Amino acid sequence: MKTDAARVGQIVDLTNCDKEPIHIPGAVQPHGVLLVLREPELSITHVSENAPVLLGIAAEQLLGARLGTLVAPSVREALEASLRSERLKQHNPLKVAWRVEGTERFFDGIAHRHQGKLILELEPSSEKVSVPFLSFYHAVREALSGLRDARDLQELCETVVQEIRRMTGFDRVLIYRFDAEWNGSVLAEARDAQADPYLGLHFPASDIPKQARELYRLNWLRIIPTVDYRPARVLALPGAQTDSPLDMSFSVLRSVSPIHLEYLRNMGVQASMSISLVKEGQLWGLISCTHVSGTRYVPYEIRTACEFLGEAMSSLLAAKEGSEDYDQRIRAKSIHAALLERMAREVDFVSGLSSHESGLLELVHAQGAAIHFHGRTTVLGAAPDDAQLAGLLGWLGTRTDEDVFCTDRLSSHYPEAEAFKEVASGLVAVSMSRGRNNYVLWFRPEVVQTVNWSGNPTKPVEMEDGQPRLHPRKSFELWKETVRGRSLPWKAYEVEAAAELRRSIIDVALQRSEALLKLNTELERSNVELDAFAYAASHDLKEPLRGIHNYTLLTLREVGETLPEGARGRLDTVVRLTQRMESLINSLLHYSQVGRTELSLRETDLNEVVAQVLELLKPRLEEARMEVRIPHPLPPARCDRVRIAEVFTNLITNALKYNDKAERWVELGAVPDGKEARVAYYVRDNGIGIKPEYHEAIFRIFKRLHGRDRYGGGTGTGLTIVKRIIERHNGHIWLESTPGQGTTFYFTLAVEPGAEGTEGE
Amino acid sequence: MNSALPVLVVEDNDEDFDMLQLAFQAAAVPNPLVRCSDGEETLEYLFRRGRYPSAEQAPRPGLVLLDLNLPGVDGRQVLEQVKADPVLRGIPVIVFSTSDNPKDVQSCYQSGVSAYLLKPVDLERFERMVRLLKEFYLEFVVLPEGPQSREERRR
Repeated sequence: MKTDAARVGQIVDLTNCDKEPIHIPGAVQPHGVLLVLREPELSITHVSENAPVLLGIAAEQLLGARLGTLVAPSVREALEASLRSERLKQHNPLKVAWRVEGTERFFDGIAHRHQGKLILELEPSSEKVSVPFLSFYHAVREALSGLRDARDLQELCETVVQEIRRMTGFDRVLIYRFDAEWNGSVLAEARDAQADPYLGLHFPASDIPKQARELYRLNWLRIIPTVDYRPARVLALPGAQTDSPLDMSFSVLRSVSPIHLEYLRNMGVQASMSISLVKEGQLWGLISCTHVSGTRYVPYEIRTACEFLGEAMSSLLAAKEGSEDYDQRIRAKSIHAALLERMAREVDFVSGLSSHESGLLELVHAQGAAIHFHGRTTVLGAAPDDAQLAGLLGWLGTRTDEDVFCTDRLSSHYPEAEAFKEVASGLVAVSMSRGRNNYVLWFRPEVVQTVNWSGNPTKPVEMEDGQPRLHPRKSFELWKETVRGRSLPWKAYEVEAAAELRRSIIDVALQRSEALLKLNTELERSNVELDAFAYAASHDLKEPLRGIHNYTLLTLREVGETLPEGARGRLDTVVRLTQRMESLINSLLHYSQVGRTELSLRETDLNEVVAQVLELLKPRLEEARMEVRIPHPLPPARCDRVRIAEVFTNLITNALKYNDKAERWVELGAVPDGKEARVAYYVRDNGIGIKPEYHEAIFRIFKRLHGRDRYGGGTGTGLTIVKRIIERHNGHIWLESTPGQGTTFYFTLAVEPGAEGTEGE
Repeated sequence: MNSALPVLVVEDNDEDFDMLQLAFQAAAVPNPLVRCSDGEETLEYLFRRGRYPSAEQAPRPGLVLLDLNLPGVDGRQVLEQVKADPVLRGIPVIVFSTSDNPKDVQSCYQSGVSAYLLKPVDLERFERMVRLLKEFYLEFVVLPEGPQSREERRR
């Protein structure tokens, strides 16, 4: 029979080992002998070529012989009875005594049936009889209670590695868990000082190829007492090799892949054992035992105890993992409640969400978050920069199909995310309103940034004989390649927590908007009332004012001549005060009208508007000998012609009034604005200027900077009205000024089509 | 020729009425001035009921000077009722108000007011306004004589 044992010399290549048929290696590890027995007579059809070493009989003599004729008579009957049993495995290990040259050699026989073949593997044993049940029981009892008492997964893992190490004496025992892509990470470790720490390291999926994982799932324990063994080929009785190669999936002696041995040697491992951890039929992880200080053989009974512990741990996985999540869920609930309470308390619920104590990040175990609400973005922790966030939000806006979007590999959905994968390879985005682009986003960094190192991650790959030495460091590099642009996965309960928060935010926002609606209604009503009030007030104020004015004037007219000069002067003052009061009342009324009446927005030629204004102001401009400069025609704007005329009138009048120069000029023009408005119009003068501290104040109603009668007087409402008009056009007004040299007022008109009023009033 | 027709002044403010009277005197308006100081009274006068049950007590005015803001029934309602009545509709009504609320101006003309005047806080302007009013409405404008007989029958 041809075997593939010669493959040991093959080039190690981690990329092609997926294809290797490792379940039919055609060879065994030489620490035991493999026999295949033909039933019912139990004659030997296959034997491993190392049989002479262990059994003292040439393979040719064994092939075709009956097992019963070869073993010691003392065990023959019991052995044959066991091997014929239907429940073969229950009898393992079978005590086998082999008579060789007058002496007996004892073996542990491990028998199983597979694909119609009875396979018996013999491992040398120092014991003549089975280890008594009680010793097995004691070996595992304590371990089991430790397992049961473990509070969570971590404690379970730690207990198991300690127990396995205690039972087997391996230098290093670790628990290794697979992720969804079969990358592994080390969760727990018990080790001797001379063994390198592996805790926290990651291994790429390619370290354990698919078919090896399948064997791990089927056969829960494997041992390699020495990595430097020479495989013993399995020889077959001539005529018995007709069918398919011997399937050794369940064999304990099965020779392992030379690639795996190379891998172990590269890690400095001389012996290894691994026990599968299976959860709900899926390979969950491995208990991996390695020995760096020599070869290590573990007797069958101990192995069985270890396997038993593995099974026990497997059965506990769901419960411990569940309880781990359970604790987290409870924690998430309490964070959620705290968040809700904060949101409800703060006037601006976004600030309630985003305060650092809020636990927003902890809720889903994210390293960063961003809240985008009504055009404003608030960032917490590690997040993409503003421009990147804006791009991401824009992209999210194009995905209308889900309320909660969750990925642990953002750049595969949104390639631009490659640029900020260090902070946001993982994203949970909850949309708080369709079409409004209001989101809460959580970010997780690329997993490479997240991993806990137990050694120096930057340690270079070690070279040995010109070849890179395969080592967990190197393995880590490979793993990094496989997880580029990815974050740790989001757990289901974390995504649920995000979705739940979304619902709460919507509830809060809804309550807020209802309250706002109510407020708006009230505001509207009070606005209408205020409007009526402004007219009523002006009417009611003017009525007595008129009386005072008229009666005073009448009195002056009738008896003015007879009054002493002082009294007449005071009555003149009363008249002047009534006139001033009237102009104040009128200004106030006008100001309220600017806010209330609808704008009539049209595309307007501002040159015409300005020409009209200048025409009206002509007498005053001429009187002041004021030069009007318009270096370039003004660009058109969408605006209310009458209101904008008022703006220009006001600004030009101000330029005219507040000027003490001999040669006065005012310049009108437009400059590019660069912001949302196309241009900023300006009115510049060489007047008295305005000190910086007054740049805000001058827009306040009735705020005057000069004595009432200096610079031509005024009510102090002009600029307030101008500002209000500009703001109603969604524009801004600001100024630049050098006291003593002049002032420039700039304003923009950023009205969106249809945003205000309609054509005509 | 209009001098016999009374001018009905609807004015709640005594000072304003006082000034108006003075101005009318100064302008030598020959027409009798009749004053109603609120909307309710005005309607009673015009429709000859309540305090003014007969034509003798409430001769039909040739012109009404109407203040808009009145206690109770206000000037706007008075105007509406007057203009809704086929007989009274013919009487020119001039609003004489402090309010230049465009809505008021608009609605008064919609209701058929003949003119809308603003009460100025300026004695000179006020006096000039009254003089012009007298000249125009009481000297030049032909005011309608009420369809007395038919009206009497109807009522």
